[in-house]
Amino acid sequence: MDVLGSLLGGFGTALRPEYLLFAALGVTLGTLVGVLPGIGPALTVALLLPITLNFEPTAAFIMFAGIYYGGMYGGSTTSILLNTPGESASVVTTIEGFQMAKRGRGGAALATAAVGSFVAGTISTVAITFLAPVVATLARTFQFADYFALMVLAFVSVTALVGHSLLRGLISLFGGLFIGLIGIDALTGQARFTFGVPQLLNGVDVVVVAVGLFAVGEALYVASRLRHDREEIVPVRGGLLMNREEWSRSWRPWLRGTAIGFPIGSLPAGGAEIPTFLSYTIEKRLSTRKDEWGKGAIEGVAGPEAANNAAFSGVLVPLLTLGIPTSATAAIMLVAFQIYNLQPGPLLFQNHPDLVWALIASLYIGNVMLLVLNLPLIRLWIKILSIPRALLYSAILVFATLGVYSIGNSLIDVLVMYIIGVVGFFMRRYDFPVAPMILGVILGPLMEAQFRRAMAASQGDLTIFVTRPISLVILLCALAALLLPYLPRLVRLARGERGGERIVFGSGKED
Amino acid sequence: MAGAEAGAGGDRRAAPSFVGPRIIAALLIAGGAFLIYHSLQIGATHGYSVVGPSIAPIAVSICLLLLGVIFAVRTTVLPDEDLAEASGAEEAMTHWPTVLLLAVLLVGYAVALAPLGYIVATALLLPISSRILGSTHPLRDAVIAVGLALVIYFGFTAFLGIRLPQGILAPIL
Repeated sequence: MDVLGSLLGGFGTALRPEYLLFAALGVTLGTLVGVLPGIGPALTVALLLPITLNFEPTAAFIMFAGIYYGGMYGGSTTSILLNTPGESASVVTTIEGFQMAKRGRGGAALATAAVGSFVAGTISTVAITFLAPVVATLARTFQFADYFALMVLAFVSVTALVGHSLLRGLISLFGGLFIGLIGIDALTGQARFTFGVPQLLNGVDVVVVAVGLFAVGEALYVASRLRHDREEIVPVRGGLLMNREEWSRSWRPWLRGTAIGFPIGSLPAGGAEIPTFLSYTIEKRLSTRKDEWGKGAIEGVAGPEAANNAAFSGVLVPLLTLGIPTSATAAIMLVAFQIYNLQPGPLLFQNHPDLVWALIASLYIGNVMLLVLNLPLIRLWIKILSIPRALLYSAILVFATLGVYSIGNSLIDVLVMYIIGVVGFFMRRYDFPVAPMILGVILGPLMEAQFRRAMAASQGDLTIFVTRPISLVILLCALAALLLPYLPRLVRLARGERGGERIVFGSGKED
Repeated sequence: MAGAEAGAGGDRRAAPSFVGPRIIAALLIAGGAFLIYHSLQIGATHGYSVVGPSIAPIAVSICLLLLGVIFAVRTTVLPDEDLAEASGAEEAMTHWPTVLLLAVLLVGYAVALAPLGYIVATALLLPISSRILGSTHPLRDAVIAVGLALVIYFGFTAFLGIRLPQGILAPIL
C-alpha cells in the first residue's frame, strides 16, 4: 500500500466523530496538566496513562497523541509566564519568553509559541508520514547486534550530551538499569533483585519510576525549599495576538527551528534539548537586532519552541519504527504500547497498519485542534497558574498516587514510587539528570534481551558487534557522542595546552 | 523545576559542602557491593544459554560500585568545586522537618488507602499536606479535598471503569 493511501485510510478512522472527541479530550487534558508548574510532558503522559487503560487501542492512542501535544504546549506557558520550564527542552524558551512577558508582550510570546508549535508539528508530521515507513523497511534488515548498538547509542547520547556531569549522568543511568533488572528474567525464569518481595517479581513499572522521580521528587524538593522560594507570575498585559512585525519576525525562526529539530529528534540519539539550544544560538547569530536579545526578542521564543515541537515529533520515528524511545516522554509512550501488547518496531507497520496510520493521522488532527482550542483559551490556562502552590503540589501527590495505584491496585507499587520519589528528591538536590534513569529502566531489559540473542546467534562470539558494518558504524557514532563534549579540551591537549570547557547541551532536567 | 534561581536565599553565599555527595558515594559503594553479592546468588540456568541470567546484574552492580568509587574520589581527593557549592547552597536552604513530615504523611496515605477507602484517605491527605506545604486556609483546603476526592472516585469508578477501594464508606457507596 502506498503512503498516501494508507494515510487517507488513517484519516478515515481518526476523523470519525467519537475519535475526534477523544482527540479533543486528549489535547485539553494534556494542556490542562501540562500547564501546571513543575509538570512536563513526560509526567503529563504518565499521569494520564491510566485514564486510557480501558479504551480500545485506537481510541487510546488518538487520545494519547492529543495528550502528547497538549502537554508539550502547556509546558511553554509556564516557561514564559513563570520562568519555570517544565522540562529541559523548554529551558531556552524562558530566556527571551519571560523577558517578553515582563515587557507586556507575554500574549505575543504565547501566540508565537502556539503557532510555531503548530507549524513545526504539522511539517514534522508530514515528515514522519514519509520517513517512518522507509525507516521501518530499513529496520527489517537490522539484527540483534544492531539493535544492541542502537541502544548503546541512545544511552550514550542522553547521558553524555545532556547534563552538567557525565559521571552523575552515568550514575543515574546505571541506577535505572538496576531498577530495570528487578523481577523475573524473561529467558530463564530466575528471580533477580527481588529481595524476597513477591510483588517485585513482575518488575517495577516505568510509570512507577517516572511518576516517582518527577512528581514525588519534585513535590519533596519544593517542600524542602518552601521557606525560601517565591514565585512571581507575570500578568499578561496588552493583546494576546501578535502584531504584524512580530509575525514577520517569527515565521523564519519557525521554519529554521523545524529544520533543526526534526532531523535531530528522529535520530536514535535524539532528544529535544540539543535542537532548542542550537536554534536559539542560530537565531541570535542571524538576528539584525542584537540589542534586543536578553530583553525579549521574539525570535528566541519562536525558534526554540518550533525546534522543541519538531524534535518531539521526530522522536516518534525511532519509537514507532525501531521500538527505541530516546526521551523520557517516549519511554512512557512505549509503555502505553506494551499495555496493549503492541511492540513498536518494524513489524508494527506490517501487523497493525490501521492503528499506526490512525495514530499518524491523529497527529495532524491533534495539531489543528491544539491551535483552535488554545489560542482562544490562553486566558483560562493562565488562570490555572494562580492555583496556590500548597494545594497544587498536594493535588499532584494525590494524582501521582492515583496514577500508580490504578495500574494494579497495589500498595507495594505506591510505596516503591515513594521510595523512588525520595531518590528523585536527592537527584534534584545534587544535580543528577533524571532522563538517563528513565531510559535505563525501559531500555535496559530490551538491551539485555538483544545482547543475549546476539550472543546466542554468534555462539558467544563478542566480535559480532564490530564485524557487522551497521552495528560497527552505530557504535562509532556512540563513541563520537561520548567524546564530543570534550572536543574543546581534546583540541587544546593536542596543541599542548591545558584547560578548555566541556560543551553542555541542556541541563538534563527533563520532566 | 520550581524557581531554582528565584529563591531569596540565593543572595546569601553558603559554604561549600560535600556532606551530601559523600553520603551518596558511600551508599553507591555499599549498594554496589551488596548487589554484586546478590547477583552471584542468582541461580544458574537449566538448559543451554550463552549468556546466563546473572551476567547483566553482575555487570550493572560492578559499574555502580565503580561509579561510586569515582564519585567518592570527586568529593575527596579531586574535589568537584561546582558540586560542593551547589550542595552547600542546597543544604543551607533545606528545611528537613517539612520533607520528613511530608514523606511520613505519604506513607500513611498509601497504607490507609485500602482500609479507609479512597475518598476518606484522600479527603484527609489533601488538607494535611497543604498545611505542611505552607497553606494557611484549612477550611478552603478541606472543602476542595472532599470535592476532589468525590470527583476522582466517581469519575474513575463510573466513567473509566477503574476500581478504587471503598473502605469504611462501603455500606453507602
